[in-house]
Amino acid sequence: MKRSLGEKIFDVINYSLMILLVVITLYPFLYVLAVSLNDPFDTIKGGITIFPRIFTLDNYKEIFNYPSIGRAALISTLRTVIGTITGVFSTAIVAYVLSRKDFFARKLITTLFIITMYVGGGLVPEYLLIRGLGLMNNFLVYILPGLINPFNLIVVRAYIETLPSELQESAMIDGANDFVIFLKVILPLCIPVLATIALFIAVGHWNSWFDTYLYCGGNKNLTTLQYELQKILANAAASSTTIDYYSNLDPTRTMRVTPQSLRMAMTIITTLPIVLVYPFLQKYFIKGMTLGAIKN
Amino acid sequence: MKNFERFLSWFLAFTLVFSLIVSVSIKEVSAQAKLYKPMNPTPEANKPITFKVYIGEVNPNDDQFKSPVAQKIKELTGVTLDIEYAPNQAAVREKIQIMAASGDYPDLIYAKGDLSLLKDAGALIPLDDLIEKYAPNIKKAYGENLKRLKWSKEDPHIYCLGLTTDNDRTLDVNGGFMLQHRVVMELGYPRIRTLRDFENAIKAYYKKHPTTNGLPTIPLTLCADDWRTVISVTNPAFQATGAPDDGELYVDPKTLKCTFHYKRPIEKEYFRWLNRMWNEGLLDKETFIQKEDTYKAKIASGRVLALIDAGWAVGEPITALRRAGKYEYMYGYYPVTVSERIKQAPPDVRVGYTGGWGIAITKSCKDPVRAIKFLDWLCTEDANILRQWGIEGVHHIYVNGKRQFLPDVDQARRTDPYFGRKTGIGVYVYPWPRLPNYYIDSTGNPVVPDTTKEDIRKNYTEVEKKVLAAYKAEIWKDLFPKAEEYPVKTWGYLWMYPTPDEDMRAIGNKLFDYVIKNIPKVVMAPTKEFDKVWNEFLKGLDDLGAKKYEEYKTKQIREMVEFWKK
Repeated sequence: MKRSLGEKIFDVINYSLMILLVVITLYPFLYVLAVSLNDPFDTIKGGITIFPRIFTLDNYKEIFNYPSIGRAALISTLRTVIGTITGVFSTAIVAYVLSRKDFFARKLITTLFIITMYVGGGLVPEYLLIRGLGLMNNFLVYILPGLINPFNLIVVRAYIETLPSELQESAMIDGANDFVIFLKVILPLCIPVLATIALFIAVGHWNSWFDTYLYCGGNKNLTTLQYELQKILANAAASSTTIDYYSNLDPTRTMRVTPQSLRMAMTIITTLPIVLVYPFLQKYFIKGMTLGAIKN
Repeated sequence: MKNFERFLSWFLAFTLVFSLIVSVSIKEVSAQAKLYKPMNPTPEANKPITFKVYIGEVNPNDDQFKSPVAQKIKELTGVTLDIEYAPNQAAVREKIQIMAASGDYPDLIYAKGDLSLLKDAGALIPLDDLIEKYAPNIKKAYGENLKRLKWSKEDPHIYCLGLTTDNDRTLDVNGGFMLQHRVVMELGYPRIRTLRDFENAIKAYYKKHPTTNGLPTIPLTLCADDWRTVISVTNPAFQATGAPDDGELYVDPKTLKCTFHYKRPIEKEYFRWLNRMWNEGLLDKETFIQKEDTYKAKIASGRVLALIDAGWAVGEPITALRRAGKYEYMYGYYPVTVSERIKQAPPDVRVGYTGGWGIAITKSCKDPVRAIKFLDWLCTEDANILRQWGIEGVHHIYVNGKRQFLPDVDQARRTDPYFGRKTGIGVYVYPWPRLPNYYIDSTGNPVVPDTTKEDIRKNYTEVEKKVLAAYKAEIWKDLFPKAEEYPVKTWGYLWMYPTPDEDMRAIGNKLFDYVIKNIPKVVMAPTKEFDKVWNEFLKGLDDLGAKKYEEYKTKQIREMVEFWKK
C-alpha cells in the first residue's frame, strides 16, 4: 500500500483542516470550562482562552454548597427520567394509532394536534387549567402537561408510516392483536426515531425551570435544579452590582464569586449530563431525523 | 429479657427528653434574667398562625424560617412566615400578572414596581383603618410619613408599608470622580476639588509613568456600553455641576420645574472638559467602542489612573484589585466640580419620603388584623434589633451599654457566605418595614449595624486610611458638602415616579436612546466644532419632544408634592 505524494499532501491538509475545525467548534465550550475553573476575580482581567490561569474550584463549591441543590438535582433527574420514558412511550402509542389508515378519526385528531403547534392558550389560561386540574405543587405537573409534543408526534408518525404495512398484516395473520403489534413489531423498529425524540424530551425536561416557578414555587421540596441555579445566579448578580440590601458590609470585601464565573460553572453543570448521553444516542439521532422526514 | 430491653430503651429515651426540656428551660430562665434588653412576646404569641408570603426579590439567605432569629420571631409573635422568593428579577412581573388574573394571592406580598397590577385587580386591602385601630408602632415609626404612603389623589388610601419608616441616610461616598491612590500619594496629596485639579493630577502622573507593569497606562476611561453611558458619561455632568441625582431630568428645588439636565447651561462646561480630555488624548481612545468587560478588565489590571462612574458598577474589578493586594491601585473619591464656586450636591442630600415599594396585605389574607399587628411589631425597636443584630447572648452582647456582635459572630458575618442562612440575621430586614439607618434606639445604640464612622473605616485599607489622613478626613464623605448645605428634595426621587402614559413613556425611551447614541459625538467632536455639535445635540432633544416630557413630569411632581401636603 504505497501512497503517492499527492495523497500524502492531501492527508496533511485534510487533517490540519479537521483539527482546526474541531478547535473552532469546541472553543466556546473550552472557554466556558476554563473560565469556570479560573479564579473569578482573575477572570475579570480578561485574556482567558482554553486553559484556566489560576485554577480554583470555588465557582463549583459556591453552587454545590447551596443547601437544596442535591434535592433539586434529584427532582430534575427524576423528572427527566420519568418524563422521558412516559413521554416517549405515549408519543409512540399515539403516533401508531394515528398512522393506522383504518382509524376513522385519523385526519381530525391529527389536525387538532397540529393546531396546537401554531396556536397556544397563553400563560394565564394555562395556569388556570393547571390549577383546575389540581396539579399545583404536584410532581405530576412536570410530567403530564407536556407528555406529548405534537412535533415529536408527527415525526414518529411519519416514521411509522415508512414501515412496510405487510409487517403488521403478517403479524395479524399470526394472531397478534393491536397491542402485541405495537409492542413487538412497531416499537423495536422505531428505536432510531424514538432515540431522537427521547433526546429532545430529555433536554427539554432537564433545562426547564419556569414551570417550577409558576406551579411549584410554593413547595420547596419540588424545585428543580435549573430553578435553584437561577436563584444562585440572580443572588450573585444582586450582591455584586446592586447595593447589598442585607448588610452594610462593603461588597468588595464580602463578594466571593462573580456572576460571570458562576454562570460558566452552571453552564458546565447543566450541559454535562446531556453531553454524556449524546454520544450514545448520536448514531440514532441522524438516522431518525432524516428517515422520519422523507416520507409523507 | 426482651421486655427489659424495651423498658430500658423507653426509660433512657424518656430521661433524655426530660433532661433536655429541663435544661433548656433552666437556661432560658437564667438567660432571660440577665438580659440587658429583654424582649417581650406580643399578646398573640401563643396563638400560632402561618402567613404565606410572596417576595418579588431574590434572597441569597433564605433560611426557610428555620434559623434562630426566625424561631425567635415565631416565639415573640406566634407568626410563622412561609415565604416564596423570586428566582430572578425578570420572572416577578409574570408571577404578579398570573396572580392578578387568577385571583390566587398569598397573605402578604411584596411586588416591587408591579404592585399597581394587584391594586388594579382589587387584590389589596386598604390599610388605613387597620393601622388606625391596631398599629400604634407603625403610627409612631412612620409619623408624618404615613400620609405620604397614600396611593394617589384618586385613591387616597394606604396599600403598602414603605420599606423604611423614614429615608436612610447615605453613610459614605462610593463612586463619582475616582483617582487611584498611587496618583495622589506620589504627587504629595494635591488638592482635588475642580476638574482642572483632577486633570492636572492625572496629567502629571501620566507623564512620569506612561506604563504600568509593562503595559501602557490609561489616564482616564469611561464605560459607554449601551445604558452604562448614562451612568459613566452623562450623570457625572450634573454631579460636577452641583445637582443631585434625579436621573435624566433636573428638578428645580424651588419651582419643581423639570428639565433635561443637559439643558442647564453650566453642564456644557463639563462636556467641554470631556471634549478637551478627548482631544488631548487623556481620555482612553477605546472609551466609546469598548464593551463593559473590556472596561472592567482594564480597571482590574490596575493601569487606569482615573474613573468617573458609579461605585456599584466597578465593584468587581476593584474587588479584584483588593484581592490581589494592589491597594494603591484602588480608588479614592473626590468632590470634583467644574469650578470652585460650585459644590457637589451632598452625597446624603435630604430627600422627602416617597414611600414607594413595600409589603401589602391581600384580600385573601386569612387574618388581616393579625397581619397588621405583625407588621406593627416589625416597627418596634425589639423587632429591629432582633432582625439585624440577632438574639442577645447568642449573637450580640452589651458591653458598657454598647451593643456589639460576639467576636465569633462578627468574624462569621464577614467571612461565612452562609451566615445569614444559619443565623437569620439580615434575612427578615428587606423588604419588611424597618427603622431608618440613623435611628438610635432606647439603649443609645444604632439600630442598624455597621452605620458608625468606626464601622465604615473597618472596610478601608491601610493605604486608604493614609490618603484620607493626608486630606484630614476620616471617611470619604467628610470631603463632600454636608447635607444641610443643600435644600431638601421634597419630591423624593424622580425615578420613583411611574410614567403610566404610554406616549410619554415612548418619548422618554426615545430620548434615552438619543442621548446614548449622540453624546459620544459631542465628546469626540473636534475642539472648534464643539459648540456647534453641542447646540445640535440640545436641539435634537427638543425635536424628539423633550419639552412635552418635561411638562408632563413637572405636572406630575407638582401634583404629588401638593397631595402630600394635605
